[in-house]
Amino acid sequence: MPVTGPIIDVQDLTVKRGTSEAISNASFIINKGDYVGIVGPNGGGKTSLVLALLGLLPKESGSIKIMGQDIGSFHQWDKVGYVSQFAINFDSQFPLTVRELVGLGRINRSNMGRFRNKDDWKAVNEALDIMSISDLANKRIGRLSGGQRQRAFVAKSLVSEPELLVLDEPVTGFDPITQEKFFMQLSNLNHKKGLTILIVSHDLAAVFCRMSRVLCVNKEVHGSEISEGKVPDDVLKKGYGEHFHFAFHQHQCQGVFIDEQL
Amino acid sequence: MSSFSLFDLPSLFQYQFFVLALIGGVLAAVVSSWIGLFLILRKESMLVDGVAHTAFGGVALGLFLGIEPMLGALAVSTVAVYAITYMRRRGMAQSDSAIAVMLSVGFSLGIIIISMANGFNVELFSYLFGSILTLDSNDVLVLVVLALSIIGFMVFFYKEMLAVTFDEDGAKLQGIPVQGLTMTFNLLVAVTIALSIKVIGIILVVALMVLPGLTALQLHRSFKSTLIASTVFGIFASTIGIMLSALFNVATSGVIVFTAAGVFLFVAAYQRIA
Repeated sequence: MPVTGPIIDVQDLTVKRGTSEAISNASFIINKGDYVGIVGPNGGGKTSLVLALLGLLPKESGSIKIMGQDIGSFHQWDKVGYVSQFAINFDSQFPLTVRELVGLGRINRSNMGRFRNKDDWKAVNEALDIMSISDLANKRIGRLSGGQRQRAFVAKSLVSEPELLVLDEPVTGFDPITQEKFFMQLSNLNHKKGLTILIVSHDLAAVFCRMSRVLCVNKEVHGSEISEGKVPDDVLKKGYGEHFHFAFHQHQCQGVFIDEQL
Repeated sequence: MSSFSLFDLPSLFQYQFFVLALIGGVLAAVVSSWIGLFLILRKESMLVDGVAHTAFGGVALGLFLGIEPMLGALAVSTVAVYAITYMRRRGMAQSDSAIAVMLSVGFSLGIIIISMANGFNVELFSYLFGSILTLDSNDVLVLVVLALSIIGFMVFFYKEMLAVTFDEDGAKLQGIPVQGLTMTFNLLVAVTIALSIKVIGIILVVALMVLPGLTALQLHRSFKSTLIASTVFGIFASTIGIMLSALFNVATSGVIVFTAAGVFLFVAAYQRIA
C-alpha cells in the first residue's frame, strides 16, 4: 500500500559514534515526494544520520518512524533503496555483471530461497533502462567507470521499486557533465514517479538548484524548504558557522538546471 | 611405477574401488569448488587451511575413541570454524591470528592423542594425505548425503549468498538474515572440509577448494559463469587426478593438486597472452 503520511518522522534523535554524539536531539519530517539534500561540513554527522535512519546505526535516544512504523518494528526494507558512499569501492575483480548486480536488489526477506522469475528480470531491465545503462547489462562491474558504477548501484536500489531512495555522496569524483546527467535522472525519478529522495552531498549548487528541501547537519539538524535556489542564511549559518558564505559561494543556479543537450 | 598405460584406462572401470573413487572425487570436487569460490571472494581462503589442520585433532580423536574419523573431523572442524568467526567478530583477534590459534590448538590435540595411543599412525597418515582409492560404499553414501545437503543449500540460497558475499551491509538492509546465512555457510565449510579429507587429505584440502575457483576467476566472466567454470575445473582435476594416479600408482591427492595447479597456470597464462 502506498505511503500517505510522512515517509520519515524523526523526533528528538540522538546518535552516538563511540562515546561522542554524532547527532544531537534532531527532529524533522520528510514527506512523500520530497527531494531532500543533506548538507553540512565534514564530520558533521551526515552519514551517521543516514545510517541511523536506515537502522544500521543504533540510536541513543529519540524516535525514528519510517513509513509510519517505528524503526524497530519496520521490516519493509525493500521499500527503501540505499547506496552507500563506499558502494563503488568494491573489489574490481569480483565476477559480477551489471545485470547480476541489479538483480541482487530484488532479494528481500519474503522471497528468500525462491528462484527468480520473469517479473524479476523485467524489473531489472526497467531499472537498467531508467538509469540508461541497458547497453552495459552484460559488462562486468569492475570494468565500469565511476559514473557508470554509481548508476548501476542506483539501478540496483530502484529494482525493488522503493518509495524512498537514500544516496550517500553519490557524485564524489564525477566530472561536471556526468554529475549533471546523474542529477537529471534523479530529478526525473522524483518528478515523474514521485520517488522520495534523500541525497548526502557537498555540492550545494546541485542541492539548492534541484531539490525541494535541505537538511543542514552539524551535530544538530536544521531543515528548510528551498525556494528558487535559496535557503535562509540562518540555516546554513547553523550548519557551517559564521563563514558559511565560503561553503556555498558557487551555488548560483544559472546553467545548473536541466540542459536538454545532455 | 606400475606397468599400466593409458590404454588400460577403460579396464579400470570394472573395479568397484575405482568407480567409488570417481564418484567420491566428483562429489568432493563439486562442493569444494562451490564453497571455495565463495571463500575466495570473501577473502577467507586460509580459513580452509586452518580448519583442515584443526580437523587433524578430530581425526585422531575419532580413531582413539573408535568412532568414524570423518565424524570426529566434522565435529572439531565445526568448533574451529565457529571459534575463528567468533574471535574475529568480537575483535579478540584478526582473521589470520584466529586461524593460527585454532590451527595449532587442533594440531596439538592430534599430537597429544597420537602420543597417548599406539597403532593408528598408519591410518592417520591416510587422512593427512588422503586415501580416495580406499573409499568403500558406506564412505560414498556419507559423501552423497553430505554433498547433496550442501548442493541443495547452495542452489536454493545462491542469490542470497551472492548478495551477502558481495556486500554484507547492503544485504542486511535488504532484510536478508546475514548472520544466519553466514553461520550456515560456516557449517558447510566445516562439512566440506570433513568430507574432502578422505579424498585429498588434510594437508591438501585447501588446494581442492581454492584452485578451481581461482582458475575460473582468471576468465573474468559473470558470477554464474565463474561458478560453472569453477565446478568444471574441479571435476576435471579430480577425475584426471584419480585416473592418472590409478594408472601410474602414485599418490592421488598429489596428482589432483598438480592437475588443478597445471590448469590454473595454463588458463592464467592463456588469458594474459590471448
